[in-house]
Amino acid sequence: MNHPTQNPIADNFSSGSGSRTGEDTLRLIASLPAPEGLSDRVQARLLTAPRSGRVLAWPAAFATHSGLKRSEWTRPEWMRSEWVRSAAAAAIVFVVVGGGWGVYSRVQQPQSAKVIVLPPRVAAPGSFANAGAMRTPQTLNGPVLAHPATAQPPVAKTPAKSSAPIVLNPAHPGKSAANKANVQAVAPAAR
Amino acid sequence: MSASQAVFSGWMEIPDSAVNDEARQHAEEATLAALVSQYAGTLYRVAFSVLRNPSDAEDAVQEAFLRVLRHRDTLDEVRDQRVWLIRIVWNIVLDRKRRSKTRPETDDVAELARVLPSGGLSAEQIASAAQHHAHVLSCVEQLPVKEREVLMLSAFEELNSVEIASVLDISESSVRSRLFRARNLMAGLLNYERSLR
Repeated sequence: MNHPTQNPIADNFSSGSGSRTGEDTLRLIASLPAPEGLSDRVQARLLTAPRSGRVLAWPAAFATHSGLKRSEWTRPEWMRSEWVRSAAAAAIVFVVVGGGWGVYSRVQQPQSAKVIVLPPRVAAPGSFANAGAMRTPQTLNGPVLAHPATAQPPVAKTPAKSSAPIVLNPAHPGKSAANKANVQAVAPAAR
Repeated sequence: MSASQAVFSGWMEIPDSAVNDEARQHAEEATLAALVSQYAGTLYRVAFSVLRNPSDAEDAVQEAFLRVLRHRDTLDEVRDQRVWLIRIVWNIVLDRKRRSKTRPETDDVAELARVLPSGGLSAEQIASAAQHHAHVLSCVEQLPVKEREVLMLSAFEELNSVEIASVLDISESSVRSRLFRARNLMAGLLNYERSLR
């Protein structure tokens, strides 16, 4: 039985450093010849592959059979113009957007309920009904705050209608024009 | 020529744009065929070095050329077609390998013994060499992703550090530093495994 070190290939790899053996193995694999007929098989595959790489290929059914070769009648002349393609693309976009808008406009957003409706209480059979009475929870009697606006309004000091004559204060002879008028009106009577 | 014949000939007139399209299409097909015959082998070896499965590698090559076919309009803008193609197939095989992580591991030793050149060795020697290669490859798989990618691409003699940097979309200095780290890590892993035996 041969020892692995007696293998000429293995000896070749183990004689060098570790990295050298790894690179030699990789080089050996990298130098393997390609199988026979690889190019022919690839060529055949390429010939059977679809020639057009466009996303939207024009269907051949729309082509006008004018007696030309197939490569020439696959696309009629009017389809080759750019504005026709642009118009077709715009029509497609319009249909898609319109359809999306139609769906969106028909679907209504459900409105969230603002009031929570409690289910009516159904009395159990054989029990007493509450006759529509509802229990109202009692609230605590807290301190009542006296609002300044609701406090006792100050009593308006209206001049009392007395029959006593207005006495003119000599210390303030000309306090106001109204007082003067009153004084003049009362003065003849006093005289 | 009668009037009907004139109308008919005018109706059947081939427009210039159609002629130009067909000429351009023929030119693209010729370019693509030249690319396939020139680089299919290189791409296969790149794919096989990662996938290590002949059928998977061939599928990856075909997918790479299908992508080229889809983007054949940009072929003229490609500066280095070889590096560009290697980059395409590299991304494909990495993606496939990432997706096949969940699959059970295949018997790499038997596959390597079948694939690798025997060179007039006996069956026992072939099996021993395959076992050694499988062990080395398992150590390669333990490397970090960045170092492993650089190490695998450096095994291709037709790729220099600038082209590796272009494939991996990194700088050339990064390629050198990663390769240095990968070699050190590989040496450590293989020496550690040898010391355990």
